[in-house]
Amino acid sequence: MAPLVQVEQLEKRFGEVRALDRVSFDVEAGEWIAIMGPSGSGKTTLINILGGLEHPSAGRVVVDGLEIGNLGERELTRYRADKIGFVFQQFHLVPYLTAVENVMLAQYFHSITDEKDAAEALCRVGLSDRLNHVPTELSGGEQQRVAIARALINQPKLILADEPTGNLDEANEAVVLKLLHELHVAGHTILVVTHSQAIGNLADRRVELEHGRLARISVPSLAKE
Amino acid sequence: MARRSMFLRILWKLLGASRGRLTVALIALTSGAAVCSALLNVNLDAERKLTQEFRTLGANIVIAPPTGSSEAALADAGVLDRIAALRIPQIVATAPYLYVAANSGSQPVILAGTWFDQVAKMNSWWKLEGGWVSSRDDHEHCLVGFTAARQLGLAPGSSVHLRSGDHNISLTVAGIVTTGGAEDNQILTNLDSAQALAGLSGRVGLVQISVSGTPAEIERVTRTLADNLPGLEVRPVRQIAAAEGTILGRIRGLIFWTIALILVLSLLGVLASMAALAMERRRDVGLMKALGGTVPRIMRLFLAEAGTLGAVGGMLGFLIGVVLARWIGEGIFGVVISARFEVLPITIALTVGVALAGAFPLRLLGRVRPADILRGE
Repeated sequence: MAPLVQVEQLEKRFGEVRALDRVSFDVEAGEWIAIMGPSGSGKTTLINILGGLEHPSAGRVVVDGLEIGNLGERELTRYRADKIGFVFQQFHLVPYLTAVENVMLAQYFHSITDEKDAAEALCRVGLSDRLNHVPTELSGGEQQRVAIARALINQPKLILADEPTGNLDEANEAVVLKLLHELHVAGHTILVVTHSQAIGNLADRRVELEHGRLARISVPSLAKE
Repeated sequence: MARRSMFLRILWKLLGASRGRLTVALIALTSGAAVCSALLNVNLDAERKLTQEFRTLGANIVIAPPTGSSEAALADAGVLDRIAALRIPQIVATAPYLYVAANSGSQPVILAGTWFDQVAKMNSWWKLEGGWVSSRDDHEHCLVGFTAARQLGLAPGSSVHLRSGDHNISLTVAGIVTTGGAEDNQILTNLDSAQALAGLSGRVGLVQISVSGTPAEIERVTRTLADNLPGLEVRPVRQIAAAEGTILGRIRGLIFWTIALILVLSLLGVLASMAALAMERRRDVGLMKALGGTVPRIMRLFLAEAGTLGAVGGMLGFLIGVVLARWIGEGIFGVVISARFEVLPITIALTVGVALAGAFPLRLLGRVRPADILRGE
């Protein structure tokens, strides 16, 4: 069976700056990949390309059989709605919508909305008592859990998380990591951009970037065990 | 839940989320709509009422024997009865006239025989010193034009003796009129008295008619009269019809350009608010696009928001405009303007149009690149 994600000789240039330089790797369905590296190494650019937010300058990216470098804006938008679930460091919730409405927003752009399903998704991340709270009434950890529920609501093929615990305290970081772990166990494919060694150690594999180049792909000791 | 329901839910939240900026836009739209509604009400209602007012400013149709006709006068009973039988609702007043060359002592003077009750209806602006002759059957009194009174040394209460050929009559001056027209040189009396003095019983020289309506309506009445009064010349008093048409045209032009100006000013107000709102919404639009929202779908939300504002502003503006129109009508035109409900859809359509045009900055949000927004740019 073909890998869920195939990245071949991927390049991304912003003017003279080469953010990604001939990066190649595969991701199998159900894998948890940690994308690591110092600031400016191209981690976020890589995840943006995989999420259909940026076009590659060269190379090939295939997700679930779809070569996303060939897609136009309209197809990329559909691709994001159908196949991708995003979790951002800054949470990026719509401030005037409640927690359940933020989850329903992803349903709305995907197909049809179902408030019951959205509420259940929030219950699964432990927010059954926060359904009708707006983001300003939620803690950082709660907001990130809403973002995770939103990312999962449309059953995406790939969950892309960019520093999901970067803005959280230790307690909330643990909650979010537990949730990601549960998703992984449930068979979801997860790519997490992180500086955190703790998260890196939880992943099946670590893809490490340096100056836009693939430095190494390693298997953390926890995964080996 | 249907998509439509979620659409309305987000729309409702959008309206509540930016209350400050949207209130400013709503004020701009409501103000513009109020002025438009007031002016449109004034335009529709004042035009009708002003044409009625114009009818107190003299006749606008004259019926006379054909130019060059050998007949000195025309049969009155016939023409006046035939005009009445036509039952034309626009006719406000009908005044027959018979002019007689007479002498008061050695002074020549023109005596005009007419129906005073009808003359009063179409010449309410005449200045009167003394009293009016209220009945068309009053055979004893007369009105004297200001110039004629000065020449003949007459004042209210004076007697005047008139001679024409072998006939004589004596009249008491009821009042002195200043008209600014030919009547200033004439003595006006009852039609029968003039006919008796001239020996032209049952005849009139011309008929003045005051018709209410727009220039087109006056033209139609003229044609109807001409068709039904063969052998007589029916002609509109062009300068009066033209003057009325010019006044109405100017009022209409003034209203049109004022509405256009007000709409442009409202548009600028809405544009300013929406430009600020667009800056605030960049992040939301970037996120929505990242979540798979297409540009048309996201824009529909913002346009629906602007359209809702326009519709609410239009309705509020219409109501305020009705009050404003009453004030303008009473204060400027001296008429009571009633609410014209056909103005409501026009006002709403104009205001929604302005709101949608003012939402242009929000449309530019379609160009936002989600990656830039999510990166925090």
